[in-house]
This record gives sequence, structure tokens and C-alpha cells, in this order.
Amino acid sequence: MMKQITLGRYYPGNSLLHQLDPRAKIILSVCFMAVIFLTDQPLPMILVAVLTLAMILISRVPIRHILSSLKPILFILIFAFVINLFTVQGDPLLTIGSVAISDQGLYTAIRMAARLMFLIISTTLLLTLTTTPILVADAIERLLNPLKRIRFPAHEMAMMMSIALRFVPTLLEETDKIMKAQSSRGADYDTGNLIAKAKGLVTVLIPLFVSAFKRAEELAVAMEARCYRGGEGRTRLKILHYGPKDIVFTIVFLIACTAILLVQYL
Amino acid sequence: MKLFVDMKNVHYTYRQSSPDPLLAVNDVTLNIPSGQHVAILGRNGSGKSTLARLINALEQPSSGIVIVSGMNTADEGCVWEIRRLCGMVFQNPDNQIVGTTVEEDVAFGPENLGFPQSKIRQAVDASLAYVGLSDYAQKQPHLLSGGQKQKLAIAGILAMEPSCLILDEATSMLDPVSRRDFMNLVQDLVQNKGMTVINITHHMEEVLLADFAHIISDGKIVASGIPAEVFDRVDLIRSEGLDIPTHTEIAHEIAAQLKQNLLPMEAISWSGAQQAILRMLAAAKLQQQPADLLADRAHLSGSIPPDEREPIIEVRDLSFVYSPDTAMAMRALDHVSFDVFRGEIFGVIGHSGSGKSTLIQHLNGLIRAQQGHVTVLGMNATANVDIRKIRRHVGLLFQYPEHQLFEETVFQDIAFGPRRMGLEMSEVEQRVLKAAHIVGLKDDELERSPFELSGGQKRRAAIAGVLAMEPDILILDEPAAGLDPAGRDEILDYIANMRDAGVTIILVSHSMEDIARLADRILVLCDGHVHAYGKPSEVFSDESSLEAAGLSMPRSTAFLNDLKQQLPALDNHAYQTKQAVRNILQAGLSCQNAKECDQI
Repeated sequence: MMKQITLGRYYPGNSLLHQLDPRAKIILSVCFMAVIFLTDQPLPMILVAVLTLAMILISRVPIRHILSSLKPILFILIFAFVINLFTVQGDPLLTIGSVAISDQGLYTAIRMAARLMFLIISTTLLLTLTTTPILVADAIERLLNPLKRIRFPAHEMAMMMSIALRFVPTLLEETDKIMKAQSSRGADYDTGNLIAKAKGLVTVLIPLFVSAFKRAEELAVAMEARCYRGGEGRTRLKILHYGPKDIVFTIVFLIACTAILLVQYL
Repeated sequence: MKLFVDMKNVHYTYRQSSPDPLLAVNDVTLNIPSGQHVAILGRNGSGKSTLARLINALEQPSSGIVIVSGMNTADEGCVWEIRRLCGMVFQNPDNQIVGTTVEEDVAFGPENLGFPQSKIRQAVDASLAYVGLSDYAQKQPHLLSGGQKQKLAIAGILAMEPSCLILDEATSMLDPVSRRDFMNLVQDLVQNKGMTVINITHHMEEVLLADFAHIISDGKIVASGIPAEVFDRVDLIRSEGLDIPTHTEIAHEIAAQLKQNLLPMEAISWSGAQQAILRMLAAAKLQQQPADLLADRAHLSGSIPPDEREPIIEVRDLSFVYSPDTAMAMRALDHVSFDVFRGEIFGVIGHSGSGKSTLIQHLNGLIRAQQGHVTVLGMNATANVDIRKIRRHVGLLFQYPEHQLFEETVFQDIAFGPRRMGLEMSEVEQRVLKAAHIVGLKDDELERSPFELSGGQKRRAAIAGVLAMEPDILILDEPAAGLDPAGRDEILDYIANMRDAGVTIILVSHSMEDIARLADRILVLCDGHVHAYGKPSEVFSDESSLEAAGLSMPRSTAFLNDLKQQLPALDNHAYQTKQAVRNILQAGLSCQNAKECDQI
């Protein structure tokens, strides 16, 4: 059940998107996010979809794999869709009893759901599926570097993030194991009301936290034994290098984003 | 000889300023020459891990002095150089990996040391090639097996150009095949790279690989010497709760029974033990041993007569594929069929990834069969029946079950299962006490937090939590994994208790010794199919077939097989020390004809 969660998992590959400088990917995904929120006309939204699809094709990550990463947020998607569908006022399209669906409602609902979908797909694609967490962390550290002058702990932030990401699969496996073990003792996570379900989670969360703390303690000792002493004096196996490829890709992508905004506002 | 580690009168106290300080290392003086392979043995809590941390400068001594490669660990300026020189591999493979890919993890150490990029690249590639993980450089570490993860840890250390490797129970979570593999790598480092190795362990096979061994008890070194000398002190080793090589143990047992003495270090090697036994038997014949020695030859096996057996689990043609119809599809079980009978201990053995874990999850419905049938107590576990009915009868404990404890007290934790069954409070209490009694937990331990208990106690509490549901069948996956020999023996003894209490046990393990010691019948899995199935005498009759499945004979059986060449009358069907001793005495003292007796 847990293994289906792909959010945050690296998909190994060697595509253009994989090779791109992670700093470029972070900046571009922020720009793209802005574009997604600034578009509400049908044509620019279709262009956003086209650009997203283009990135998927460039990354060579199977579409099925990307769609499965949407599963965890399916509930939110449907929720946003339904709320908009029934609450937005406008000319009624269809009336069932006292609830009416308006053309405005349908339009907003589709727009919201599509936006959310593009947002998730583009950020997971750029940042987690094609970039190893350590590189993302590295890039964030570099981008935040100027803030070190005002004593902002950029290196520590980046290290925390990459370790957290490193342990996502390990802790998911562990959660699965604990749930199976407690099920064998009669715990039931599938039936019952919300309160019963929340109570049931205690039987998973406590052992999970205990183990996570133990892991943290052991990892800290292991890191010290391998001479880790903060960011100072540290070098890198992979030195980030903003090369010609990155520059060209950034320019092309930014032109595409600008074009979409022009179509939207002109 | 140049000393790599020079410890003088070292003490180390945990919680020094608190009301209950704990003296973990008590006046240790220890020298380790450069290039030596040293084993440090001791039960859990003996202070051996603290000793390792003192050498690595992760801890500074409370008093005394630790010099590593000429540097004092108390000198702040030397700490990082000492840690670079002494790489450490810890027990849990998962909790020492920092990188999100194999390559990034190996680079972590050199990065911390500030090596230039080109040098890091070189170091990473060379270390990965050395440990044989080059093909995995871009893989995520959680996809590696336990053995591979520990090799990755070694690679991460090698990349820092160390001169000493400290293994802190590094193999205790590995299966026998990976363990042998890992130790081969370590041996190569000693022999070909001149590395100093300090191996903290309680596996006797590993100790035999070392040049020198120290036994530590309550923070003190109680014995030192070459491994043969140390193993010769059988009584000391036993009292420290450690293991002796099986053949040495058999020879010592025979010496005790025949009231003869072994020569110093006579029974340490495999052939030495054989010669010693033959020598003692010959001497005993001359002395005309009293016949009552042989009288005590009760048959050991408690197996049930075939016609009275009632099948409690029937598995027919069971197959299972993970992620079917995808590129990642993996066949875990392939047409597996077997029966488990009421009241027996049924052993399931196989190497890692042979399908053991998938198989047992079918038996209580955590996994539903894709193909084939599983019948438990006459109920079909394949169809869509209420699976909780079956779970009530089948208790399942995964590896390291103590990781699932969660309640405030041990009592409440054990009571969780029975409460979920909707039993009356008085009945729950009665069952908790009974289960706690079977696994040997004391009443005052029941009121403590499960997180305060020792490793072995925690494990027994977790087992009691399932026992209290009074299942007809109890499935135990690697119940002794990660425990020291004393803890392991205790658990195995309690498992025999459970069978005597009427529970049918399915014991899953990759340890041939544990299975051989307890199981009435055995199923050998190899790559998802049944490789062998039957009574121990049938399964252990074909050594080459076992080896093909990545398993080895129980040591006692292998020893008897070799001895039989010189003692033809010997019954070589023995799967534990006691039985082996009995068979040897029987064959050696009551040989049927003159010709056989002459051979002794």
C-alpha cells in the first residue's frame, strides 16, 4: 500500500532534464508555478499543458509513473473540483433538486483541478523525479548562499532536507512493516469511523517515531565518525556547473513562459 | 612492532554527573599493533562498543589515555585525523547511509575532509570497484541488500584513505552467505592492504579469522590471546554467554563424559577435534568404561507418529508475483506445496530473497494468493472470507518484533491483541500473565515501559503479545536475529516451551543451526520454489543439494559426516551438540565387531 507513493522518489535516467543544473530547475519551476497561477484563459492553459507534456517527453519518465504520483493528491483534486462545481454562482447548466451546477462553476472547477495537476506534475518532474535529493539540496544551498552573511544556516537546511529525503523510502518500508505487524495482532486500519481510525494510527505512529529517533541518533554518530563537521571546508563530488546546455534550456523555457503570459494578457 | 592503538588504564563512565553513573569501561589497557586483525568479544552491554568509540575519538576517556597512531584522542586538534584513519562500520546497515545514491554516499567522507573534486572522483570509483559495487554507483541505497549496504559502508570508509577499520557488530544483521562475503572482503583488506582491523562481534567463525582476540566482560578485559588460546578456555567463554565452535564443544563434552583431559589447544581445529575424540575413545575402551554411560541414550526426537498427524495448514501450488505485468515483475513463489501438522515445529529455511517472507504472509492473509490454495484450520485463506477469523488463529511475528511495541507498559502491550479480540478484562489479564510466564518475563517487568527493557526482554515481550491471543499456530520470522548467543539460546528454549504448551510453530530462519536444533520437519526454499521438504534426516542427507540453495549443513552434522570416515559405525544423523556426543559415544564404545574396534 505504501510502495505506490512516488512523490519524492528519484527516477534514474540520463535525459536532458536529468542533466540540467538543479539551480536552473529550481528557478524554472518557480517561474512555471507563477505562470500556472497567472493563466485562466482556455488557450494559455492549453499551452501550459503542452509545455508540461513537452517536459514529460524530454524527461523520458513513463507517463504512467507520473500519473501514479498524482494518486496521493487525488482526494484534494476531487475535493477542489466538487467544491468549485457547486459553489461558484453563474447561469445554471443542470439542476438536481436544490443544487445547481453553473457554467461558471464547471469552468472554475476544471480550471482549479487542471492547475493543481500541472503544478504537481511540473514540480515533481523538475525537482524530484529527475533530480537526486542531494542535488536539490545542494542547489538550494547555493541559491541561499548570499543569505549566509546574515547568519542564515543555508548548509544545515540543505543537509536536513537531503537526509529527510534519503529516509523517505526507508521509513515508508518501515511503516508498511509495522502496519502489517499490528494487523497480525488484530489492529484494523480499514474499517470503523474516523475516531477509531485515528486511534488505530497511534499503534503505527509510536513505534515509527521511536524508531526514527533511534535512527537519527545512530546516523548522527555515523556522520561524525565520517568526519562530518558542518559545511565549512566541505568540498563536493559533483560541483554544479551552469553550462551552455543549461543557459540555452533556461532561455527557451523562459521564452515559452513569456509567450504563454502574452497570450493570456494581450 | 609499531602500535596502532595504545590504551592505558582507560575508564569511561556514562552519565557521569547523574545519580546513577554507569561504568562502561573499567581500567582497560590494550595494545593493537599496526596491521593486526583483532577480535573483541563480549555479550551485549559488556562495554565493547564503547571501547570502539573510544578508539575512534567519538568518546573521550573519563580517565586514562588513548593513543591512536601516535595521536592522543583527547587532543581536540587530532580528533578528525583519528576519525579519518579509523573508519567505523556500525550494526544497522540503514542507519549509516547518508547519500541518496550509492556514489554520493561514498563521497560523503572525502567531501567532509575537503578533498579536491578530482581526488574525490578517483577515491569513489576505486572504493566502489574494490568492494564490487561499481554497477550500483547510481542506484538508490535502499534498493541494496543488507550485505551490499555494509559493503557500501566499507567503500565509504576506504574513500577516506584510512589505515584501520573498526567493525561494530557489522555482520549481526546479515544472513550467513552475506556474512561470509563481507568477512572475505575484510580479510582481503588485512592481507593485501595491510589494514588494521578491529572486529567487535559475537560470531565465533569471525573470531577464528582474527590474529588475536580479547574477551571483554563488564568493561574489563578478562582474556586475551590468539583465538585458539581463547577458545580453549571453554568454561570462561560459556560463562560469558558466548559461543564455542561446534566441533570444539563436542570434543570438550566427550572429554567431560569420559572423564578425560584434552591437551591444550588440541580441539580447536576441525581435524584436531576429530583426532582428540578418537584418542579419547581409544583410551576409554582400554579403561573399560562403565556401561551406564551408554544407558542414557533416550531418543531425542519428539516427532508425532505419522498416522496421528493432523494437517493444520495445507498449501497447494502457491505462486506469487510482485508487481505483475510490469517491467519490475518479480516471481517470489513458484508452485509451492506443503503441509504443517498440529503440534510440530516446522522449519522454513532459505537464503535472503528466497521467498520465505512472502510465503508466511500468505498464511495469515496479509497477502492473498494470486494462484494456488492456502487452507488454515480448514478455512480457505485465499477466498474472500473474513480474514480476521484466520488471524485470530495464526500469530505472526516479523523480524525484530520489538520494533512494534507501543504501549505505556509491557502489560498493556501484551494485552493489546486479546483486547482487540473483545475478551473480558479478567480473561485478558489471565492470558497476559500466562503468555508472559511462557516467555519468562517477570511480574515487575510487566509494569515497566517496554522501551526500558533490554533487547532480549523486548523481543520476548513482543512474542508474548502474540502468544496472549492464544493462536493455534505461531509464525516466527528470525526470532533470534541480532541477539547475542546467550539471548539467542534463551529465545530458542522458550520456543520449545511454546510447542510444549500446545502451539504449532513455524520457525523461519536462515540459520541452519537454529532450525536444526528445533525443527521436527523442514521446508527449504530456493528462489521461490521448494528445494527440499521433509524430516531433518532427509533434508540434511544431501550436502551438495543444500549448498546449491546457498545453505550449509548444521556444523554438528558436517563434523559427524567427516568423523564417520574413521568411525564407520557412527550414526551421523545429529543436528545438535548433545545428540552428536551421544552418537559418538555410542559408536565408539559399543562397536559391533572386532574389525571396527581396531580402527579406533
